[in-house]
Amino acid sequence: MNSLVSKFSTNNIPKQDVEDNEEYSDSMWASSAGYATNGLPTFRLPSLQQPTDFLRLHTDDHADPSCRIKIKHGTTTLAFRFKGGVIVAVDSRATAGSYIASGTVEKVIRINKFLLGTMAGGAADCQYWETYLGIMCRLHELRNRERISVAAASKYLSNLVYSYKGMGLSMGTMICGWDKTGPAIFYVDSDGTRLKGDLFSVGSGSTFAYGVLDQGYHWDLSDEDAQELGRRSIYAAGHRDAFSGNTINLFHIKQDGWDFIGNYDVSKMHYDGPGNIPGAPGTGYGYEVRTNPEACVVAD
Amino acid sequence: MDHFPTNWGRPRNDLNDAYNTYPLHQRPYNGPKDTFADGVQRTQQPIVTGTSVLAIKYKDGVMMAADTLASYGSLARFKDIQRLHPVGSHTVLGAGGDMSDFQYIQTSLDTLLIEEEITQNDGHSLGPSEIHEYLKFLMYGRRSKFDPLWNSIIVGGVKDGRSFLGYVDLLGVTYEAKTLATGYGAYIAQPLLRDAVEEREGQENSITEEEARKILETSMRVLFYRDARSLNKYQVATITAAGISISESQHLSTEWSFAEGIRGYGAQTQ
Amino acid sequence: MDGKTAPQMRHFNPYSDNGGTILAIAGQDFAVIAGDTRQTVGYEIQTRYAPKVFRLNDKAVLAVNGFAADGNMFVKKVKQKLEMYRHAHAKDMPLRAIARLIQTMLYAQRFFPYYVYNILGGIEEDGSGAVYSFDPVGSYERESCRAAGAAQSLVQPFLDNQIYFKNQQPIPGGPPHPVHLPLSRVIALVTDSFTSATERHIEVGDELEMFIVLSRSHPQQSLDPRLNATEVSTTASGEKVFVIRRPLKRD
Repeated sequence: MNSLVSKFSTNNIPKQDVEDNEEYSDSMWASSAGYATNGLPTFRLPSLQQPTDFLRLHTDDHADPSCRIKIKHGTTTLAFRFKGGVIVAVDSRATAGSYIASGTVEKVIRINKFLLGTMAGGAADCQYWETYLGIMCRLHELRNRERISVAAASKYLSNLVYSYKGMGLSMGTMICGWDKTGPAIFYVDSDGTRLKGDLFSVGSGSTFAYGVLDQGYHWDLSDEDAQELGRRSIYAAGHRDAFSGNTINLFHIKQDGWDFIGNYDVSKMHYDGPGNIPGAPGTGYGYEVRTNPEACVVAD
Repeated sequence: MDHFPTNWGRPRNDLNDAYNTYPLHQRPYNGPKDTFADGVQRTQQPIVTGTSVLAIKYKDGVMMAADTLASYGSLARFKDIQRLHPVGSHTVLGAGGDMSDFQYIQTSLDTLLIEEEITQNDGHSLGPSEIHEYLKFLMYGRRSKFDPLWNSIIVGGVKDGRSFLGYVDLLGVTYEAKTLATGYGAYIAQPLLRDAVEEREGQENSITEEEARKILETSMRVLFYRDARSLNKYQVATITAAGISISESQHLSTEWSFAEGIRGYGAQTQ
Repeated sequence: MDGKTAPQMRHFNPYSDNGGTILAIAGQDFAVIAGDTRQTVGYEIQTRYAPKVFRLNDKAVLAVNGFAADGNMFVKKVKQKLEMYRHAHAKDMPLRAIARLIQTMLYAQRFFPYYVYNILGGIEEDGSGAVYSFDPVGSYERESCRAAGAAQSLVQPFLDNQIYFKNQQPIPGGPPHPVHLPLSRVIALVTDSFTSATERHIEVGDELEMFIVLSRSHPQQSLDPRLNATEVSTTASGEKVFVIRRPLKRD
């Protein structure tokens, strides 16, 4: 009799077999939806022995160009510290395989008025975790009644991505800002590396950017010359690296927070230059020197 | 992460990880473990299989056909297996693919319906679109666990004056159409079914039961001629406002005398 | 036995590609979101009518493309969350919040991604038309136009040329390129994009389904009757949503 009752009382499909309608916890009703701030957000893993191999099989377009899911990748970014603050310059191209998925990506993520993060590697990884970092920085402010230091903010991020090490995250970012110690840059990547430094360039075009950056960099650069150096370095990467280009976004962090300096088209930089801006050559970065070298003033 | 410029940001080839830093996060796991975890076998490939199912909407409802063969690889193993299964009084399922997974689905749905009727008993009953939706969640849920139910299923039925014809497969992919065919039938029979329906574009409802039966029979015959996993015995289900009827298995008449004249295959080289 | 030496017998691939193309264009005070309705796998046309564009509320429309099972399940979950939001806040979720919601929902599946390209179109709280485009794991940006799916590499360059006027010089002494195009022009561009993609891509065709969202600040609150549009908005005072269906070639 009991077996008869039990037969009629339950469905024999285990409930977990049917694609779950997530339970609606209290957090769904508040605005924290999706970013559980009482701990880390949770992620669904494929139930396989090697979840990372699965992810790689389907998303690594470099190892297998015919892989289905092409995740957007971002590419040349740089930041350097000098006497006038921090210069942050990035390109705006996102590629999915060999397709240029976008030429208008915002690769500088505005964490708050005093903190900027750059995006290289997986676009979603950078966007998501730096947004999450923004939440944590704001909570730090509310708890401690003072702004978070660049060192602490970057350590938040590096500890976080380190806990996902080997899972397939891809991000190389520079956390830049101005705190009690003055201007600061920390390089953080998805391996868990965290480095303090004066000058970094990250991404597939970084070698091109470093070339220009290193020959023009010194601590006592004027604001205009520093901005020009950032612009010129990203232009070089955009010109020579197929995975970088489209436009340049330039930011300058000073004591009172960051300023957006401008957006510059890489092709326009090649032929016309940034226009009549202090520090700029007044001609195109690339065209004039190749076609009419006499007309160019050689910068010292 | 690879830092070499040409593959910057991509996963590093961990086979060439000189410093053995990959993957650092893995620690020995000492938590509770399912004793039978290593012994569980998921369906990685279908074993005893059914082939195509065909279905078509017509004037009074939906008609579905499937042969009665369950193959074991290339062996015609079970020759009297019913692959059309009624669910409640408005719906019929037709399944291709793994027969054991299909039997699991059958018993599960039967129990679901009993539960609905006994415990709810609210005067509502599940119609074809509800069954189809439930199956979508079941199949998608199982594929998301890498433990798929290895079937392609056609759900057909009539409820509240509306006829429904939908498809769902092991990936959880669903769609609806006026004519459906699974498996090999999707390539061979579907064009014939569409042809029959599309020549009356805008007045599909004029296809009579007789005509529908004729179209399905023709398609089943063509399939039998070319699908090596098919059988010349098949059943037809009709679902109308009046209810469900699933025919006894019927024999396909075939004509092979043309084979006499074929040259160039197998042993007949002259 | 660790993971590396354990036998790996994985014939099962949980993804497939169901073809089709989606497209969205934002105007100053409207947005157009469109998709074809063909569903394919390989060379097989599974059905000629499987919608890929969905109205979420009176100011947001979501188009999904890629793996159909993931896409349909994802839309279902987005709709559920929007419904919960409506019950909690007694208003529809604003467009930019839906965009962020979609990011977090996609990123929650970072290690087992939805194989879905999403394009969200609609009207922002300030009345402007907007399009947000996403990659499968949730990176997103606001844009004026975006094509995704099988024929994205056919359609996007056309839109770059016709909407952003890329590689076009304005006539010397003539007017500059317009920043925003009028609705009639956008509808014509969308229709042409799909008829042309149908000609050159085998996974595109059968029917074009085009949603149009009009801001309250749009001068006309109805569409030209010759367009044969159906209104699907739920309130008379809010933004207006219309659907236009057009046949595409079925071969």
